[in-house]
Amino acid sequence: MMRAATYEDATLRVHAYVDGELDPANALGVEASMASDPALAAERERIEAFRRLVCERLPRKASPFGLRARVEAAIGMRRPRTQPSWRALAASIAVTAILASGATSMLVAPLEVNAVREGIVDAHIRSLMARQPIDVASSDRHTVKPWFNGRIPRAPRVVDLNKEDFPLVGGRIDVIGASPVPTLVYGHGKHLISLTAVPAAGSADSAPASSETGGYNILRWIEDGIAYWAISDASATELDKFADLFRTTPPDQ
Amino acid sequence: MSIANRQDQNGLTPAHDRSGRRLQVLFATGSDGQASAGEDDHRRFARLVLPHLNDAYSLARWITANRADAEDVVQDASLRAFRAIANVADGNSRAWVLTIVRNTAYTWLRKNRPSALVVVDDLEAVESAQGVTADLDHETPETALIAKADAASLEAAIAELPPAYRETLILRDVQGLGYREISQVTGVPIGTVMSRLARGRAQVMKTIGRKSS
Repeated sequence: MMRAATYEDATLRVHAYVDGELDPANALGVEASMASDPALAAERERIEAFRRLVCERLPRKASPFGLRARVEAAIGMRRPRTQPSWRALAASIAVTAILASGATSMLVAPLEVNAVREGIVDAHIRSLMARQPIDVASSDRHTVKPWFNGRIPRAPRVVDLNKEDFPLVGGRIDVIGASPVPTLVYGHGKHLISLTAVPAAGSADSAPASSETGGYNILRWIEDGIAYWAISDASATELDKFADLFRTTPPDQ
Repeated sequence: MSIANRQDQNGLTPAHDRSGRRLQVLFATGSDGQASAGEDDHRRFARLVLPHLNDAYSLARWITANRADAEDVVQDASLRAFRAIANVADGNSRAWVLTIVRNTAYTWLRKNRPSALVVVDDLEAVESAQGVTADLDHETPETALIAKADAASLEAAIAELPPAYRETLILRDVQGLGYREISQVTGVPIGTVMSRLARGRAQVMKTIGRKSS
């Protein structure tokens, strides 16, 4: 009986480990127990396979087109006619774009570049409005990467640019179209840079291309089947420098 | 004995009943939110609630298993959120919105489709009687079998789960909430969240493993 309770506890800890819920000391403990107990190691593999399956295959329940309008009508909300706040406007356009694209495309359908761009801008703006622009706050890439591991199929490349004056602030999960994607947040002076990694399997590598939306500078490049989107109110030159450093710095162990 | 009474004693989560009732009181005051609400409430609503509409719909859809019902629940929940918007702190607005959506969805089900909730009654008894290991011991599928499952059988396996397991799994694996947030939304201790999650996952893996083998 005692043994069963202990085993159950160990199983729950493996789940918590995969979910990125354990502090470093407990995580080490679980790693040790998985190393010595094949049943726990197998459980970890199953949970990770299951989470990948859910992320990749489970159809997202994108909310139907018109729900937002219905909700706004229900609470007697009027769209601002005069002098709309550009932030609210940009956010509402982006949300509408996401809802519209969600209605026609399922999880695996690649989104149009413009729709992704709007999603990236929306996520960045939303993060700036929130009290915390990040879900996991850490300047240590060894903390940020495992946090992603528990939440999305593939953790992003995380590099340390602290010495170059782009300290890592943390990370968050954004939803672009209908897919959860990892976003790293770096600081630079008073600016924040959101770097989102969107799967783009089959796309050829491309060098950073810049654009500007609503006062934000955006850089996009493709490397190893991943489209990287960097967005910030930092100057285009500084953002270029950031992208350069990120691309050339190896994610050393 | 009515289902509502039984749920009060032995229901899924006491917190759900409590806040459900609190929200109904808010509802019953009859204050006309639409007329008296200043521009600030609307702006607050746009900032705190609207960004989570997709998550709200997704959760309602999983709980009610029906598209039209989910839309009704989201609209109802939005009204409740709007009436409380002035008194809510900025903090974690997503967890707050999802809490309201969840409670609204269960209230809705209890009123319109009580049969969908009957299975919940004995869940806590089942939970204390049998450990996670009981679920895990037999028929644990190979990792390869899990990876092979198709979308339809995965969705069906999740839909088959008891509501308490299902909502926990959805909040974690689909919506990406942390254990603490799930505990807040579902009104149960983190330990219960952990065991429900492990059992829900084990049961889904077992079902899809059986189907794809």
